Amino acid sequence: MSYICVRDLEKRFVIREKRKKGALLREKKTVRALQEVSFDVDQGELLGYIGPNGAGKSTTVKILSGILTPDGGEVTVGGRVPWQERKEHVRQIGVVFGQRTQLWWDVPIRDSYDLLKDIYRISPEDYRTRLAELTEALQLGDLMRTPLRQLSLGQRMRAELCGSLLHRPELLFLDEPTIGLDAVSKLGLREFLQWENKQQGTTILLTTHDMEDIVALCPRVMVLGHGQKLFDGSLAALLGRYDTIRTVTVSYEEAEAAPELPSGIPVSREGKNLTITYSPDEYATAEMIARLQAAGTVRELTVQPQNIDRLVAAMYREMDL
Amino acid sequence: MRAYLSAFRMRRKMELQYRGAVLGGVICQVFFGLILVAIYRAMYTGKPQEIPLSHITSYVWLQQAFFRMLLASDPELTDKIRTGSIAYDLCRPLDLYGFYYVRIMAQKMTGSLLRAVPMLVFAFLLPEGWGLMLPASAAGFAWSVAGLFLGLLCVCALENITMGFTMRTLDARGMQALLNLLMMILAGNILPLTLFPDSWQRVITLLPYAQLLDAPIRLYTGDTPPSSAPGILLIQGIWVLLLTGVGILFWRANQKRLEIQGG
Amino acid sequence: MDTIRLYLHSMRMLIRSQLQYPISFFLQTLAQLVMEGGEMLAVILLVDRFEHLNQWGAGDLYFFFGLMSVTFYLTECFGRGITGNFPYLVRTGQLDTFLVRPRGVLTQVMCSAVDPRRITCIAVGGAALIIGSGMAAIEWTAAKVLLMAEAILCGSILILGLFMIEAIFCIYSVKSIELVNALTYGGRSACEYPIDTYPRPLRVLFTVFAPFALTLHVPGAWILGKPLFGWPEWAVWVSPVSGIVFFWVIWGCFQKAMRHYRSTGS
Repeated sequence: MSYICVRDLEKRFVIREKRKKGALLREKKTVRALQEVSFDVDQGELLGYIGPNGAGKSTTVKILSGILTPDGGEVTVGGRVPWQERKEHVRQIGVVFGQRTQLWWDVPIRDSYDLLKDIYRISPEDYRTRLAELTEALQLGDLMRTPLRQLSLGQRMRAELCGSLLHRPELLFLDEPTIGLDAVSKLGLREFLQWENKQQGTTILLTTHDMEDIVALCPRVMVLGHGQKLFDGSLAALLGRYDTIRTVTVSYEEAEAAPELPSGIPVSREGKNLTITYSPDEYATAEMIARLQAAGTVRELTVQPQNIDRLVAAMYREMDL
Repeated sequence: MRAYLSAFRMRRKMELQYRGAVLGGVICQVFFGLILVAIYRAMYTGKPQEIPLSHITSYVWLQQAFFRMLLASDPELTDKIRTGSIAYDLCRPLDLYGFYYVRIMAQKMTGSLLRAVPMLVFAFLLPEGWGLMLPASAAGFAWSVAGLFLGLLCVCALENITMGFTMRTLDARGMQALLNLLMMILAGNILPLTLFPDSWQRVITLLPYAQLLDAPIRLYTGDTPPSSAPGILLIQGIWVLLLTGVGILFWRANQKRLEIQGG
Repeated sequence: MDTIRLYLHSMRMLIRSQLQYPISFFLQTLAQLVMEGGEMLAVILLVDRFEHLNQWGAGDLYFFFGLMSVTFYLTECFGRGITGNFPYLVRTGQLDTFLVRPRGVLTQVMCSAVDPRRITCIAVGGAALIIGSGMAAIEWTAAKVLLMAEAILCGSILILGLFMIEAIFCIYSVKSIELVNALTYGGRSACEYPIDTYPRPLRVLFTVFAPFALTLHVPGAWILGKPLFGWPEWAVWVSPVSGIVFFWVIWGCFQKAMRHYRSTGS
């Protein structure tokens, strides 16, 4: 049996709507946050979990981490049912919620870690080695004596990660870990997650809106929409389905270069620069480049696949999300 | 003038939106009222006092009904000051003190009337010796309404002075708590001022806090006869002028500081 | 043992972080003193005017006031996590953080806050207890001390249970703060005076449903040598346990309700 095993997971929320004029009671509406979701994850995998807001990503993570009780279906993580054996289960997992801190606001982060050591009952030797290891990998050395409230967003995320990994969890949940981070922090964070995944064999499940995270980290990606699983496979396979537009930009030496192109291909010109877009299913890229080169002296030429965020947007649209 | 009126109206509308929360507050306040009345009733069976029990129970209910007038700080205003977005208001062509004064008044007036009406109806319906008595005389009632209005002006001026402290130190929660508690005791909310030792009463009734509710309640129950009402209203009026004056000066000084700091 | 160590560790850390804002802390502690001093003053003035309440003299009344005050504020001080934080944690979904840790939810909520400002209230209550005990000429015996400790402990547990009701309502996102306040703060205000002050409906409420009378007044009256309800001595020792029973029932309800926890606010 796989490490995480989810079968026909169901979760419903009852939403009370605003009281209508004249009505005595508020109307209730049931929303199916998750419908018959099934998947498996093996130990050591790094899995990305995407979908538009309200798709049910957080709900899945909260069920897997034992916070919520589902309304139907079966879930086991390492052979345990999260919400039934909560304490044993959570000893093996680490959770980072992007918007919520688990450290104490007004005290130096080192003090928070000391308390976490007591909460997780980590032995002093193990605590020392693990903390040293994480301090180095996350470059927290200079920040240990600083209260959390004085850290920048990027520093805070590193501090959070350290806190949730102190007890060497088998499984790490990350809920939008790169939200609001600057470029340097994002790159560093991704590097660290790869290190943790390889070195410790930690299984990582990551929800995000940042497709760069997925491209950089996740060999496998799962798409959720309207509470249903829509896709489960490699990122390349997912994008292949929707990758239908190429954009080529050329700069000519001459201002008057006018390539002969098949009719129906949109062309936009800006001085000596020309931009065309076409579908790779209809025309071979090699043919297009040949036609462009025939028209003049090419100084520079770039071929771009579609922007990944647009791809995802197109995908969501097609899936009617 | 029109700007202040519309500020008043806007805040009143906001207060009216929280009608749902009123019911819970009223039930809680009624419960506290019943407990207090029960205590005084038990005390009276042991040793009746010169002042009739019905006056004491009426005092309790009127205090409970207008509780919201005493304790209702506007979190939006304090937040505004704390976060510095008060700077926007500084740019308006209005007197800041007056602008805040009408907002506080709208909140206190709407909030307390919304609660007082159902509570007083309830208290009227209670059996003899538990509830609210009819006013001692028509004249006394008229005087007490006037007194209540002056009390409202007084409490708004007091609140604006507290607000001034918040402006000065940004986080004045400790200070606010202290002033509020002093008010609860000296306004007669914890124990009717009429049950304080007689010698204390002579001093306490002259303090500003006694002008808020104690003075109008005494006019209502007839503990203060209508003949001495003008004198009472004069004391109230003097305090209104004094507190408003102090508040305005305090705010002016604060405003200068804010402008120098650049918001 | 391990849990107690965790609690103490948390307390140390929380107090340290509160002392980062010393002036605000000092003023708020002072405000607490004024508040409880005001309540005490009301009792003193009432005693001054009325001399006694039913069979209770001045010393008895101070003693009951002190007993309630010490119990209530000890609870608010050390159980602040439950009396102050719990509903907030549920409403904002912050309880999530506790649910993903291998410790009991109740332990972690208790560890999440402490309110040392209440120390002044406890001091006022303690003073009332001592004055009352002196005026009522209580002859202290080991049994009486033990019974008083039991009363304070069970009373605290009862108060924790009462505050937990609001956390339960929060799970179902029902706004109830005022109604629960009527029971908690209303219960405190009412039961500063012995239960026989009140008419029957209030007596029933504070004996059966929120049993302050059983946890505090029955043992208190026995210590004063004026047993309530004419109950035998063994009943005096059993009756405070009602506070623990009350807590246990509410805790059971909370655990049932947690199945509907929605973890909103993320």
